[in-house]
Amino acid sequence: MASNRRGVGLSAFSNAAISSDQYARHGQQLRTSHADALANQLSVFQAALHNFSLTHAKDIRSNPTFRAEFARMCNAIGVDPLAGSNVKGAAASGGKAGSVWAKMLGSSVNDFYFELAVRVVEVCRETRSENGGMIAISEVQKRITKGRAKLVGGGMEVTEDDIMRAIESLEPLGGIFKSQTLGGGKFIKSVPKELNPDQSTVLEVIQVLGYVTVSMMQANLGWERARTIAVFDDLVADSLVWVDAQAEETEFWSPASMHEGGG
Amino acid sequence: MAATSPESSLSSFSTTAYTPSTTAYTPSTTTQAISSSGFNFPTYTSFPPFYTLQPNLTTRTHQLELWSTLISSYCAYYRIFRLSLSSLPTDLFSNANIHRSLKPGDVRTVLDHMSKPENGPRIDWIPSTTRNEQSSSCYVYWKTPGEWADALHGWVDETGQKGTVLTVYELREGDAVRSKEWRDMDEGMLRKVLNVLVKRGKAQIFGQEENAGVKFF
Repeated sequence: MASNRRGVGLSAFSNAAISSDQYARHGQQLRTSHADALANQLSVFQAALHNFSLTHAKDIRSNPTFRAEFARMCNAIGVDPLAGSNVKGAAASGGKAGSVWAKMLGSSVNDFYFELAVRVVEVCRETRSENGGMIAISEVQKRITKGRAKLVGGGMEVTEDDIMRAIESLEPLGGIFKSQTLGGGKFIKSVPKELNPDQSTVLEVIQVLGYVTVSMMQANLGWERARTIAVFDDLVADSLVWVDAQAEETEFWSPASMHEGGG
Repeated sequence: MAATSPESSLSSFSTTAYTPSTTAYTPSTTTQAISSSGFNFPTYTSFPPFYTLQPNLTTRTHQLELWSTLISSYCAYYRIFRLSLSSLPTDLFSNANIHRSLKPGDVRTVLDHMSKPENGPRIDWIPSTTRNEQSSSCYVYWKTPGEWADALHGWVDETGQKGTVLTVYELREGDAVRSKEWRDMDEGMLRKVLNVLVKRGKAQIFGQEENAGVKFF
């Protein structure tokens, strides 16, 4: 057959053209039928997913373990369960699959995290005069679980992971609510002010040791007295630390331990 | 801002770490039932800075609120109607475990905060008997005079004593009020409560001092 394929002259040209055209058309047919099959599979999947969310909406709301597993599943297949709640129209391309997903599940998953985000904002606002806008995520979790005072059954059972996801959904607000790690503990920052490196360092020390003094910064990090005092003054001015004047040397404490262990 | 030596790691810090005291003060609960272990002090009473008046005004306002709540709850628990600056309950204003106490001047600042109408008022300064001298004692309103007035009048009504004349002694210490929350109320405070009822037209006071009688309508 080799000689047939390798035709010479015009006939060879037209053979090749005909073949490539045929191949092109055949390829197009394959792509079309693949796309159709895929679209069909997708709509079957979407229907199943929709049913799933309806059936399990209650579980999603009430069960933190279920939510964690659900989030893990979403991440494994490359879909953000909260994505696309702001997307105006569903586009067909692959990257927007997340928004299609969220549209179907949106009502249960998104509602839950929206409500949680509202609670987080409330807690941050209520405690701002105590902690200057930096609150340990463990304290947020405790307060939300306990619920609002005077409302029976007002608590939401949530995990720290839930809270982190809820905060991420607040990003469109301009990044005011951010998580920050200090000395191994996770904090939520709810004020626009960014900490400079010195301030962060001091807060980290306090987080690890509970409090800090000028001498401690000098002795252990080699900071000069003036530098240390300037940073301490900043932190006091931002109501991020509390002052203990009854110690041998003035101590600066984080309010994070103020309510620990208590109701 | 150049560092003169490499930053040591936090683990090399040469001071003992703070561990919250968990011994003498149990975590607070919302119930105020009298238990054999006494008043449940909230965790923040073991927080050393709580006893230093905070320099930051936002923080201070919050601190004053925490003190106000603590004082009101403590006085309600032990049914304390009157505080005297010269003999304050030590466990309320200091924590022996952490060797901290609120300075007398700062106690006055806290009470001043509580005496403001916009904050309750939750205490009422009793004017000093000496001219030009600052007050050194106050009534504590863990219930307001208005609330006491309601309670008192409610009891008189329920027990069918409207129209009869009761003595101040009976109202404070009589057998009939042994189980009542206002029993043994400071006399000066009881008079304030009765005056609320008089203003409302619900009571009339006859006579003076210990022999005073009250008729409820």
